[in-house]
Amino acid sequence: MFGFRTSLPRRTELALGLAGLLLFLGLWHVASVSGWVKQQFLPTPFAVVEAFGRLFTERNFAGDIAISVGRVWLAFLLSVIVAVPLGLLMSCYRAVGAFVEPFVDFIRYLPVPAMVPLLIIWFGVGEASKIAVLWMGTFFQLVLLISDDTKRVPAEYVESGFTLGASQWQVIRDIVFPAALPNIVDNLRITLGWCWTYLIIAEIVAASSGIGHVIWSLRRFVKTPEVMAGIVAIGIIGLLTDQAFRWAHRRRFRYLER
Amino acid sequence: MAYLDLTNISKTYGTDGRKVQAVAPLTLAMDRGQIVTFLGPSGCGKTTVMRMVGGLETPTTGTITLDGARLGGPDRRRGMVFQSYAAFPWLTVAGNIRLGLKYRADLSASDREDTVNRFIELVGLKGFADSYTNQISGGMRQRVAIARTLAANPDILLMDEPFGALDALTREHLQNKLLEINRTAGKTTIFVTHDVEEAILLAHRLVVFSARPARVLEDINVTEQLGPDDRDQALRDTPAFLSLRREVQQIIRAEYIRAEAEAAHAP
Repeated sequence: MFGFRTSLPRRTELALGLAGLLLFLGLWHVASVSGWVKQQFLPTPFAVVEAFGRLFTERNFAGDIAISVGRVWLAFLLSVIVAVPLGLLMSCYRAVGAFVEPFVDFIRYLPVPAMVPLLIIWFGVGEASKIAVLWMGTFFQLVLLISDDTKRVPAEYVESGFTLGASQWQVIRDIVFPAALPNIVDNLRITLGWCWTYLIIAEIVAASSGIGHVIWSLRRFVKTPEVMAGIVAIGIIGLLTDQAFRWAHRRRFRYLER
Repeated sequence: MAYLDLTNISKTYGTDGRKVQAVAPLTLAMDRGQIVTFLGPSGCGKTTVMRMVGGLETPTTGTITLDGARLGGPDRRRGMVFQSYAAFPWLTVAGNIRLGLKYRADLSASDREDTVNRFIELVGLKGFADSYTNQISGGMRQRVAIARTLAANPDILLMDEPFGALDALTREHLQNKLLEINRTAGKTTIFVTHDVEEAILLAHRLVVFSARPARVLEDINVTEQLGPDDRDQALRDTPAFLSLRREVQQIIRAEYIRAEAEAAHAP
């Protein structure tokens, strides 16, 4: 099982993953039941599962999830729509890169939570400010990642394109973009994860709906099981999205398999 | 005036302080349909000469003309095959070749499919049309690149050590294929290699380059010495081939000794 840099059968991998998870849950349960940690602070895993159910029955948690998922995807798509073309141009034309990079690097280092008050002044407490927070948090990272992905497309591909008679635009469309696409999709998957971090910040600061709002309002009544259930819900959504992305990546880019 | 004329072209890299001359002023004239191999020590600048013909590098001095017209940046008239990253992995074999036709305005839709099939057959990949490049061997990928480049119907074929990364047996097989293709396609070709036998076997004319900066050391009319086109691997064992090989090897050995001595005396 401990072969150096060897692969494992799929079933063994699943079993190990499950064992790790169960060990974590077991330790958690013991810590809670034995009284190492007060149950008020650390309810048992079972209490969290019950609270998870209550969230759906006692309040419209499904609606909050839908709102949060909608916000994440709207902001994410708005980021992608701008970042992909701009990233491609930045890597293909040095002038665009030189023009945009210093500005993007500056914004990229600003902590997004610090922007929240400003964005609320600008956009109010409605949907626009939440979308703006998410967009700020992902766009400036994504544009550089995409620019890097396209820079890594081998010069031979590009030069082949030109010597086949393609124009610059045709080389971007027919060669640079498809060549970089697998890496771009991977980076989209990673960036989408960050969206959730910023979403919860936005929803805690100013919102009357969404998962972040639910977690924050239940905190006031020290409903620890519900708060933890809300966090777990984010984890589950993240896990499912990530797996869906990976599955689509494997399917769409089957030609990458060795 | 010849078909392809390189007149006093040179290439210097770097700016002001640190300048490296890759190609010394060099003049070469090539006839239409001629296959010229460029042979020389690695890093000598022979690839740079070819890339300048392809429009992928701009000569520091001098001009390159094709059929009397001055050449600029890369276009469909000069097709290039590289040593690595040859075939596009996101396209099938047929898709790769179809891309070679995509930027040609002179073909109707039905002509296109016929041409794709013709080139797949030309390089012996019938039955692999719908395979992706991860499903075929390195030698086959190289053939895909050759077919794709030929499909674009360039005036000149530029090949940059296209078989350099292949094992010896595959390389021989592809040399045979290329000889066969040349008999039918008859493209004006520049073929860069550092394999002496390959350089002789494939050439009408062999240009031996010096160590950096590239100068023409020797310009050999191979057709005159080995006879006309009808070549195959058996040629390697003929006395004429062996004596030519010895001659070329001696030129290159002498050049290495000269270049080393020069480097030792450099300030």
